[in-house]
Amino acid sequence: MARVRVLDEPERRIGPSRATDALDLARRLPRLALEARRISAAVAHGVHGRRRPGTGETFWQFRPFTAGEPAHRIDWRRSARDEHHLHVREREWEAAHTVRLWIDRSPSMAFASTLAAAPKLDRAVVLGLALADLLVRGGERVGLLGFGPTMASRMIVDRLAEALGADPSAEAELPDATPLPPLSEAVLITDALSPADEIAGILEKLAARGARGHLLRIVDPVEETFPFEGQAELLATEGRDRLDVGDAGAFRRAYHERMQAHRSALAEACRRRGWSFLDHRTDRPASEALLAVAVRVARGGRGPGSF
Amino acid sequence: MLGLPLAFASPLVLAALAALPALWWLLRVTPPRPRAIPFPPLRLIMDLLPEREKPARTPPWLLLLRIAIAALVIVAAAGPVWNPRTTSVAAGRAPLVMMIDNGWAAAPAWPERRAAMERLLAEAAAADRPVALIATGDRPAAPNPTDAGSALDRARALQPVPFSPDRGPHLAAATDFLRRSPGAEFIWIADGLGGSETRETMAAAAEAAGGRTTLIRDDAPVIALTAVENGAAGITVRIVRAGEGPAAGRLRALDMKGRPLAEQDFSIAGAEAKVTVALPLELRNEIARFDVVGLRSAGAVALVDETNRRRRVGIVSGVTTDVAQPLLSPVHYVQRALEPFAEIRTPRQGTIDAIAGLIDEKASVLVLADVGALPDDVRRKVETFVNEGGLLLRFAGPRLAAGGDDLVPVKLRRGGRALGGALAWETPRALGPFDPQSPFHGIDRPADVAISRQLLAEPEPDLARKVWASLADGTPIVTAEKRGAGLVVLMHVTADTSWSNLPLSGLFVDMLQRIVALSGTAGLEPGRETPAGTARTSAPFLTLDGFGTPGLPPATAKPVAVTPGLVASRDHPPGFYGDRDAPSAVNAPARDAVLRTLDAGPLAARTEALRLTAPFDPRPWLLTAALLLFALDTLVSAFLAGGLRMGRRAATAALLGALVLSGGTDRAEAQNRAPQGPGRETPAVSPKETDAALVTRFAYVLTGDAAVDETSRAGLVGLNAYLAARTALEPGAPVGVDPATDELALYPLIYWPMAAGREPPGEAGIRRIDAFMKNGGTVIFDTRDAGTALGGDVQTPETRLLRRILAGIAVPDLEPVPQDHVVTKAFYLIEKFPGRWAEGKTFIEALPRGDAPDAERPARAGDGVSPIIITSNDWAAAWAIGPRGEPLNPLVQQMPRQREMSLRVGVNVAMYALTGNYKADQVHVPALLERLGQ
Repeated sequence: MARVRVLDEPERRIGPSRATDALDLARRLPRLALEARRISAAVAHGVHGRRRPGTGETFWQFRPFTAGEPAHRIDWRRSARDEHHLHVREREWEAAHTVRLWIDRSPSMAFASTLAAAPKLDRAVVLGLALADLLVRGGERVGLLGFGPTMASRMIVDRLAEALGADPSAEAELPDATPLPPLSEAVLITDALSPADEIAGILEKLAARGARGHLLRIVDPVEETFPFEGQAELLATEGRDRLDVGDAGAFRRAYHERMQAHRSALAEACRRRGWSFLDHRTDRPASEALLAVAVRVARGGRGPGSF
Repeated sequence: MLGLPLAFASPLVLAALAALPALWWLLRVTPPRPRAIPFPPLRLIMDLLPEREKPARTPPWLLLLRIAIAALVIVAAAGPVWNPRTTSVAAGRAPLVMMIDNGWAAAPAWPERRAAMERLLAEAAAADRPVALIATGDRPAAPNPTDAGSALDRARALQPVPFSPDRGPHLAAATDFLRRSPGAEFIWIADGLGGSETRETMAAAAEAAGGRTTLIRDDAPVIALTAVENGAAGITVRIVRAGEGPAAGRLRALDMKGRPLAEQDFSIAGAEAKVTVALPLELRNEIARFDVVGLRSAGAVALVDETNRRRRVGIVSGVTTDVAQPLLSPVHYVQRALEPFAEIRTPRQGTIDAIAGLIDEKASVLVLADVGALPDDVRRKVETFVNEGGLLLRFAGPRLAAGGDDLVPVKLRRGGRALGGALAWETPRALGPFDPQSPFHGIDRPADVAISRQLLAEPEPDLARKVWASLADGTPIVTAEKRGAGLVVLMHVTADTSWSNLPLSGLFVDMLQRIVALSGTAGLEPGRETPAGTARTSAPFLTLDGFGTPGLPPATAKPVAVTPGLVASRDHPPGFYGDRDAPSAVNAPARDAVLRTLDAGPLAARTEALRLTAPFDPRPWLLTAALLLFALDTLVSAFLAGGLRMGRRAATAALLGALVLSGGTDRAEAQNRAPQGPGRETPAVSPKETDAALVTRFAYVLTGDAAVDETSRAGLVGLNAYLAARTALEPGAPVGVDPATDELALYPLIYWPMAAGREPPGEAGIRRIDAFMKNGGTVIFDTRDAGTALGGDVQTPETRLLRRILAGIAVPDLEPVPQDHVVTKAFYLIEKFPGRWAEGKTFIEALPRGDAPDAERPARAGDGVSPIIITSNDWAAAWAIGPRGEPLNPLVQQMPRQREMSLRVGVNVAMYALTGNYKADQVHVPALLERLGQ
């Protein structure tokens, strides 16, 4: 029978080991593959042209030089081919995409069973940091949802790990329901064990201004399969609730139904706002989830939901 | 039951054992405790209800355990009895004649006998049979059948009697009764001793009972102690016994107060044995009785009386005793020689009164050292004393030589014979060998005993018979004669060393010992009849009951003329008779008693052994086992249910287990505690006191004012640091004490600052302080008000508080410290006693302003250390240092180097408190050395 345990306080603290894990994970994904997908997904990812002149590196158009402009802007090569005009080379205005991460660190995440490869919390943090690293290397700006700036630093993993460690309000399962700016993306990594309509309400708020997002649900295999037998009494990890379920084997069916309904409700909530929804079981390798979520981010949030 | 000696009081309860399989089934369905699983998604499923309960199986061994508990309880409830009785009188309605021997021989197993009686009588009562109970210790009477209930009451009141009852008349009465009541049954609970019954009487009884006779007897041998003889090697006890098998035991000698004096193991195979207890004579004389350890019977007690006891020796000298010169006392040597084994009486009054008084005091030996002729009335008294068995020992001397009386064994010549004097040719004579008939035969005769003067006996025909010792030339030196029951002995020399050096030799001691040992036997030899005219009866003052326990005599005890052949009877129970100072003993068995084993063959009775192993009730053990198993079960259940979480059930089990165990140990503890009695409880020593006792340290009184207390502490810390730096004294960390609760005796010096507004300690605290000061401690009272005092009669609050404290303490006279007081020179030379202030006055116990030489000394000190020093300069504030050694308080500078001076004051006071007036003597060392020429 599966045994479960709740992490104690020191184990919950986010330290350098997780940052190292995240970096390992991120580096393992071949950058080229990601690059290829990014290219294939055209503008959906990376540095996005704004279809108007501005600061950037890509050539946009030539325009005639107007008096009063600084002379260094003149493209002499082009001007040499024209007898009458001086030309100025204009570049396309390029702006980086902003991705906001939410890593759930509520007590329910500090949970691991013998069936899982890692505690949910570990997995969530590693995935979040690895994703951040991947995105920054892809040229995006990444920040935490709810506090702190977005950054494009190459040290993003360490910075985020630091920020997570310093964040005192780590107990919340879901971010504050404040609308995100448009053209930004949110990635929520959580076990989504709040009631589905509560989660749906928060998604509505976050996406109110058109931001897109992804919900990555972390599930311990025990939570999915409920492999217990015999007399069991379930204890809440948050609060003091307990539930005597009698024979656990007999209770499994009802539990499955309830969890299935919960999952469907979550998926529906995401679909309505155009967000993507993924499951990740902690007995699966983390790279799998990372790849999947990276693809989603690259594709812009649409796609079939499960992993 | 099943061949086992096991029976049940209520066997029907055992039917409940049949219900055990039901218990099996019931116990199997008890669910164990559910597993507790932390489960995050609980919030989502709180409203789901579990569908069904599936009971888990109880392990079979646990079932067996529980069934064993139930079985134990059921068996215990059925009232099992191990070793049940077998003889029964429950059948029939004819009368029952029960004869029970209750002489001393029945006493050792009396509880078993009584139990057997009670059981039989209870059965008879249930069957409603009349019972005639005959106790052989009672006076013979016709059996009186009563209902079994009242017979039971009588049987319960029966006690063994301390003599050997005559069984014959009782047996005859029983036979008569049996003849008259056909169908009657005869039960005899016998003690195993043969008595006055004969084969014929027994056969008659058997015939009268028609074969319905039962004899209950025990086979343990009967042991009795009979004659006690005080021989030369030790005291010998004759032990007789009846019954089969070897008997062994431990003989014990006790004194009059019941304290054991000696023990000796014995084992006896035949009918009798003699056991000798080797003891010093003086201890032998203390013996009042012998008994056998663990054998409660009057027959196993031998009382020892005056015949074998220490003698009372009265010594009278014709010379006026000079108390200041004991070595010149004429009776000194006699006294010293007899002291170890006799009780010496040396009356201080005049010779004549002394003799009469000693005879009235019932001295057994009267020693007259150089007493001349006696007045007629006293002479007659002494004569009577000797005739009644007293021993008169006379020593010669100038008075006896000048003219004696007839209270001497031989006729004496007037005047003495001087040998080896300045005017004599002859040399002092040595002693000749002792005659084999002499009591002195066998004593070593030192060669250096020299007789220089002696009284000579007139030659008589029977002189040789009376001589016990003589000189080498044959002149008698010790003569003796029997008079009536007594003995008159004459030493022909003085009791002191003026006529011979005999009193200086060990021979003298041995001779006196032998003479005195004769005193008891002279009058009370067995077989010798007391003269009819002097026969006196004496009443008992201490008698034995059937168990051999001494106690007050019963109302039926009658006075009797005690003769050695007297045997205890109903009217004369064994015990001590007569005068408490000179008791006569009567013992239960006669001196020459022989015990016969009861031969009950002619009775043709069904014989049952008196079972000495009582029926055993195993219920407590069964229930204890059940409880222990129950506790085990509870622990196991708790373990199975959820690890070793000490739930309520486990705690209960632990409690039960502890109760069971403590029940077992309670008795042992009680026994351990018992001998200690209500001893004084020593209060526990607190760790604080332990620390204080290990290192010399000063204390300050906690006033309750935090600032003042901290200053006191820091002040003493500062003083400690200074002391450690400057002197050989390194005190431990100072301690705050509360006089009301703390032990003060551990501190040599206590600093007590007065904190305004605080109450003085209670009555207990004042008493402790007072005791502390009386026992040599020194208290520094610091009013700390030198700077605030207004002068005159206005008292500061601190001074008022000090006065209230001192009101309950015996304060000696005080004076401002004089310049020549030793405290000013104890380590440093100081003139003033500054602290935070320098102007305040310091008081100390006033020294006696003595005579002129004392006044000139540079340092004066009383005998002890002043118990009190009162200052107002706030010393602690000046001494106080912080953790880095920095001074904590500013000083009111009134003199140069005030802080240094203040610390020197502290050093001096500490030295004064610890060394006392030693320093006062120390200042004279240079002068002393100078005087010695160094």
